[in-house]
Amino acid sequence: MKSVPKLIRRFVGIMLLSSVLLIILNFALLGTYMLKQAPNGSPWTTAQKVADHLYQNENGYVLGEDTAIELQNTNAWAIFIDNTTMKVIWQTDNLPETVPMSYTVSDVASLTRGYIDGYPTFTGEAESGLVVLGYPKDSFWKHMWPSWDYNFIANLPKTVLSVLAINIALIFIIYVIANSKLLKSVKPIVGGIQALSTNEEVHIREKGLLSELAININKTSDILQTQSTQLRKRETARANWIAGVSHDIRTPLSMVMGYAGQLESDMQLSEDNRKKAAVIVKQSNRMRNLINDLNLASKLEYNMQPINPEKQNLIAVIRQVVVDFINMNIDEKYTIEWETDESLTSCPVYIDKDLIKRAVSNLIQNSMNHNEQGCHIVVRVMAEDNIYTVVVADDGMGATDEQIEKLNYSPHYMVCDEKTSEQRHGLGLLIVKQIVFAHSGKMLIKHSEYGGFEVDLSLPMTM
Amino acid sequence: MNFDYLKQKRILLVDDEQELLDMVVSILNEDGFQNIKTAKTVKEAIAVSEVYQPEFAILDVMLPDGNGFDLMERLKKAADYPVLFLTARGEDDDKFRGFGLGADDYMVKPFLPKELLFRVSAILRRSYKSENPLVKLHNSEIDFERAEVIKNGEHLALTAKEHDILTALYRNAGRIVTIDALCEAAWGDNPFGYENSLMAHIRRIREKIEARPSQPVSLITIKGLGYKLVVEGK
Repeated sequence: MKSVPKLIRRFVGIMLLSSVLLIILNFALLGTYMLKQAPNGSPWTTAQKVADHLYQNENGYVLGEDTAIELQNTNAWAIFIDNTTMKVIWQTDNLPETVPMSYTVSDVASLTRGYIDGYPTFTGEAESGLVVLGYPKDSFWKHMWPSWDYNFIANLPKTVLSVLAINIALIFIIYVIANSKLLKSVKPIVGGIQALSTNEEVHIREKGLLSELAININKTSDILQTQSTQLRKRETARANWIAGVSHDIRTPLSMVMGYAGQLESDMQLSEDNRKKAAVIVKQSNRMRNLINDLNLASKLEYNMQPINPEKQNLIAVIRQVVVDFINMNIDEKYTIEWETDESLTSCPVYIDKDLIKRAVSNLIQNSMNHNEQGCHIVVRVMAEDNIYTVVVADDGMGATDEQIEKLNYSPHYMVCDEKTSEQRHGLGLLIVKQIVFAHSGKMLIKHSEYGGFEVDLSLPMTM
Repeated sequence: MNFDYLKQKRILLVDDEQELLDMVVSILNEDGFQNIKTAKTVKEAIAVSEVYQPEFAILDVMLPDGNGFDLMERLKKAADYPVLFLTARGEDDDKFRGFGLGADDYMVKPFLPKELLFRVSAILRRSYKSENPLVKLHNSEIDFERAEVIKNGEHLALTAKEHDILTALYRNAGRIVTIDALCEAAWGDNPFGYENSLMAHIRRIREKIEARPSQPVSLITIKGLGYKLVVEGK
């Protein structure tokens, strides 16, 4: 479930980024709107401009032409109040009649802050008086008491930032609460899909926002479980069938082997007949090996063979196999040599001892089976790069490059699911491969340095 | 060393197939075993053993009225003697179960006569020590009971470790015993790193049993693999 925290991070990231972008966008929109809504600029500036462009000549006061046109365009009127007389000594032509022509100090204070008869007024200082600009009614709204507490203004940046932060936190909390519900319903779905991929049985509660998905996942799981149970049943049946057949063959074969073995050493028989008995013994022995191999191979193939790995000294295990062969008094045609470096005395590995012994025995037996004329077999254990390698090599007939290629890569009839003539026969090497694979190892078949056949089994070292 | 006394042991053979019983009896007879009684069911086996009092039993696992493991338990309650299982069931769990209950060995059918005889002799030798405790070697004799070697009339005591190693070698006389198996016999489970100690003990054993320890004839080194004890008359 690594993906869920990642999902939350991603959600929160997008949310914060979008909040910040939204605020920036708002300010930008407000700015442009304000610019568009107030194209005539500040009336205070215009008033000051009028004051600056009001000249006195012999006929009295005259306003500059450009400024006069500007006033006309905005429908504004203007008066000039003299400092000493407190009377209007200049005015524009469009001055409404209701505007008084003389002022007291309190009138001036009032018009500076607000209106004259409903006309919003703005003032500009000239050398000897005051210019008052009046705009049409309802063209401006004036703030009559424009004063703030000093601390309020001083703390304004902090206040704005805190408000902003509180807003963001609020949005965040709302977002998390809203999303956690979704995540809560997503979580079991994610878990279910992950479990499906490992072929576990899944059952998710079919409630909440994503109940439909949950129902489908549960259905999928049921289908997968049924399929794997059926597959398992079929594999078990096949392995049981093989086990049953091999069991039923054992007792009759015991009789064949037992009596043939007795006849083989019966000195009352002619040598010719004893030889015939020896052939029966040999062939029934082959059948015995085949039964054992078939049973083990099918169990390994269908994962029905319990593997009990324990810490073992690989050298000791392989040495015992070699000694068992020598002690069996095998035919003098075959000689076995132990060629392991004497300084290598301990090779700790986690293995199922019986299975590894079986694998190496199969390799030695394989060398004998394929070299009727006899051969020299070399067994060696090597340690290299965290890997132990068991080598079984002989100086016998060996195999062609093509045969070795086939042994290494083409499928065996037990594991082949297609009809092909490329399948291999003989179970000995298949079992070796299965056993080595079950131990996370590798098997490599090649030409031996002694001119015959060689198989290398690599097993990982125990750390 | 003479093992003829073992051939006189009373053997009980249980299997549900008459033909297999006949064959095993004939194999054992041919090798000199004389006292053999057979049974085909658990019931029959118990009845026979009460009268016959066997000293060794060969049992099949699957019997018509029960299984060999339970039969062994019942037989061993009456008297403790070695048991060899002979069965067509080769599965490992059966094997462990058999050994866990005190079976001495286990053979999966089919088998060759010489394999059966080898195992029977090995079990009997282990279970019934010779009345004559002396083991004859080329240049000396070993008395396992008294843990000593007699060479040229001189009695040389064996240490506990030397005795353990020689016992393991003698049990497999004539066959190679691996270095690892000898270390296990002397030092118990997990005998890593005792190879050098083993070599020292082997040297001391040779000084006791060999005429010329540097050219051993009784305790032979098989290079890289292990050692072999050569016993006279075996």
